[in-house]
Amino acid sequence: MSIVIVAIFLNIALGCFAQGASSTAPSDKVVAVRGAKIYPISGPPIDNGVLVIRGGKIEAVGAVSSVSIPAGAEVIDATGKVVMPGIVDTHSHIGIIGNPPIAANQDANESSGPLQPQLRAIDAINPAAPGIRVALSGGITTANIMPGSGNVIGGQTAYVKLRGQTIEEMVIPGTIGGMKMANGENPKGYGRRNQAPMTRMETAALARREYTKAEEYKRKWDDYNKAVAAGNKDAKQPERDLGMEALVQVLEGKRIVQHHSHRADDIMTLIRISDEFHYRVVVHHGSEAYQIANELAKRKIPVTLTIVDSPGGKEETVDLRDDGAAILERAGVKIAINTDDPINNSRFIIREAALAVRGGMTEDGALRALTINAADMLDLGNRVGSLEPGKDGDFIILSGPPFSVYTKVLETWIEGQKVFDRSNPADLHYATGGYDAADRYPKVNFTAAGGAQ
Amino acid sequence: MKRSVLRSVLFACLIVAASHIVVAQKIAIVADKLYTMGSGAQGQPGVVLIDNGKITAVHSGGSAPAGYTAMHAVYVTPGLIDAKTTAGISGAYNIPADQDEDERTDPNTADVRAMDSFNPREMLLQYVNTYGTTTVQAAPGITNPIAGQAGIFKTVGPKTVGPTVDQLAVKPVSAIVFNLGESPKTVYGGEHKAPTTRMMTAAIIRKALLEAQAYQKKWSEWNASEKKDPSKQPAKDLKLEAIAMALSGQIPAIFNAYRADDIDTAIRLAQEFKLKFMLSSVTEGYLEAPLIKQSGAAALVGPTLTRPGSLETENVSIEDAAILLQAGVPVALMTGFEGYVPKNRVLLLEAAIAAANGMGFEGALRACTIESAKLLGIADRVGSLEVGKDADVVLYDGDPFEYMSHVTAVLVNGKVSYQR
Repeated sequence: MSIVIVAIFLNIALGCFAQGASSTAPSDKVVAVRGAKIYPISGPPIDNGVLVIRGGKIEAVGAVSSVSIPAGAEVIDATGKVVMPGIVDTHSHIGIIGNPPIAANQDANESSGPLQPQLRAIDAINPAAPGIRVALSGGITTANIMPGSGNVIGGQTAYVKLRGQTIEEMVIPGTIGGMKMANGENPKGYGRRNQAPMTRMETAALARREYTKAEEYKRKWDDYNKAVAAGNKDAKQPERDLGMEALVQVLEGKRIVQHHSHRADDIMTLIRISDEFHYRVVVHHGSEAYQIANELAKRKIPVTLTIVDSPGGKEETVDLRDDGAAILERAGVKIAINTDDPINNSRFIIREAALAVRGGMTEDGALRALTINAADMLDLGNRVGSLEPGKDGDFIILSGPPFSVYTKVLETWIEGQKVFDRSNPADLHYATGGYDAADRYPKVNFTAAGGAQ
Repeated sequence: MKRSVLRSVLFACLIVAASHIVVAQKIAIVADKLYTMGSGAQGQPGVVLIDNGKITAVHSGGSAPAGYTAMHAVYVTPGLIDAKTTAGISGAYNIPADQDEDERTDPNTADVRAMDSFNPREMLLQYVNTYGTTTVQAAPGITNPIAGQAGIFKTVGPKTVGPTVDQLAVKPVSAIVFNLGESPKTVYGGEHKAPTTRMMTAAIIRKALLEAQAYQKKWSEWNASEKKDPSKQPAKDLKLEAIAMALSGQIPAIFNAYRADDIDTAIRLAQEFKLKFMLSSVTEGYLEAPLIKQSGAAALVGPTLTRPGSLETENVSIEDAAILLQAGVPVALMTGFEGYVPKNRVLLLEAAIAAANGMGFEGALRACTIESAKLLGIADRVGSLEVGKDADVVLYDGDPFEYMSHVTAVLVNGKVSYQR
């Protein structure tokens, strides 16, 4: 079936590009981080630990007494510091809402119609966007970069590592991304132009119509493929529709619906529709998710929260609560924490988790929300999100306890390559902000973070 | 004319004074680490005694005397003072019904007063109270070149019952606000009205200041005239009157500017008209620190956690306040205006970022307590825990700036406005 063929082709193509990227790094390079308190996430913290990465993959992690450092390894002394997995941001718009923040760089919302399953974030992400460097300074190594929430179906998201000069180098090999959907206030923006949807009812109806079409499309292609397999040479090939193909991937469980939703009743609506069409869904933002915590737990619906400094700004976020994450955690809901950059600046993602802890979430839960839970919500839990042998060598070095305001991200590593170093003034600039830090082509030499020379 | 403004200001002050006759409750706040932000050692064990809404004694060490209700906390600081914000006038829902900060019908709205939009029950105001903000300078928004008059108010918390805006006013009129940069020219420019350029924004401000100077002259001549002939009395103009208050130094001018060259324009305008002035936002202030220092202007800095969603804020630096402070510029922290989610920044969280990025613990704490009070001219009432001052106090269960610490209680005028 051609959908499968397309998918395979895409995978092969991306795989080739990714190989091209990793060939720039010596595949046998060994890096060993020694002396830090390591949070592997997959197990309890290790005091005075060692992390060994070979050829971009984690080879070993454990106490200094149990893991030996291979001869010839590049040894990073992290005594007194903290090491944890690279952070996975499940909801970001870096590179697709670019800098400088002018209309020319706004490519997240195709506002010509509310159903856009054929759109691909990879066609709009600018790898040169400074927001990507800012995200590295915040400890983010993997991101789900998405179209915006202005459409009922916004398009195909991209699961990327924050490295490389091209989107092909960034996209994680073998991944096809999620499907962005939205309900609540934002898609009703069409209503202000006297276009559909202007009500929540129509928002839901549009989604149902589109998935009904996708089911029909899938049935036609299944019939055709069956006929071809049965040797029927007269079988007429249905017309291809790239948007429908992407939705069929949703129906087949290959693509998770990454669903923007704030209000509790909107969350229930999206769950209802996902039940009707049997697709997998992650709730994004979930400002009122705490109100239906038990329901979400019972149905095992994961939620990735955007934690902001105050409620409001729109009707559906006025009931946001400081203890929302804590309530969800206690109910047993799987939680991630995302930036929704530019809503929250990516350099502050750990701070968001700290605010969740302030609101009563456990530190362990908050660490998982930044790492393995987030990875699971992107079907990437098998390769990122924890420090375990065989997983990608993505980690960060912190100057102190993860959730202290005084702690800084010192270094960020992706697959055994250092991609952010706070001791480098140009990198530091992305951590603190300052003149030209938001410019694609920084023109000045920096001394101190803020000041230009 | 000046007299009439003074009269209304005095009247409002009287109302405020009356409101402070509160039900007598004696409270003793016992702190492991007391930051009075007054004279003497900071961060030592201490007790603050409160009676009838005022601080009556501050002791080092010790415990609650008999007859006082004791409240204990690990850290205790003065109530935090947000040097400039739209909290209280720009509501959480962000719909026309609750947005009262920008009168976008005229680039010169010098006669509007924040006080007339200020809603003490606005949920965001209560929200920031739970994070220790007890006083705000509420200011008109960022759209009009001459935006109007700011006012200073106490905040209310979830436990506060029923004060009116008049009762909350510390200074009904505290400053006149001028806006430079993107916002005026994009809002009016979008309607093909002036200003569509930064040049015109400056020209509008200059013209108004010149007219106010002439107005001032006319009135002083008439006032100095022997007969005070009613037929020759100049016509009253409330806009010019408000601007004249800034020209005569009765109230400071606040110039809101983000980009470095807009900061320069602010200084140029202020110096041309010899205004007593402050800068607000000051996003690229770190590029101009020596110039700002030389100008004598104070900087109301923030927010740095803001979404850098415009050309003039994209170079925001979390070291801005520290760099300005190091250059010798008087600095207070502010939360300003947010147009979308989140609708308001939180002063305590802004101060935390400043503390961890160059300002240090006491530097950041000063910038949202005593320094802020001094710059806003309200240090006789708030900003430190000293005898005779309003009992505005914040209690914490740990380092106030640590993310995982909590505000455990907030007192405004000696009354508990929030308790965790």
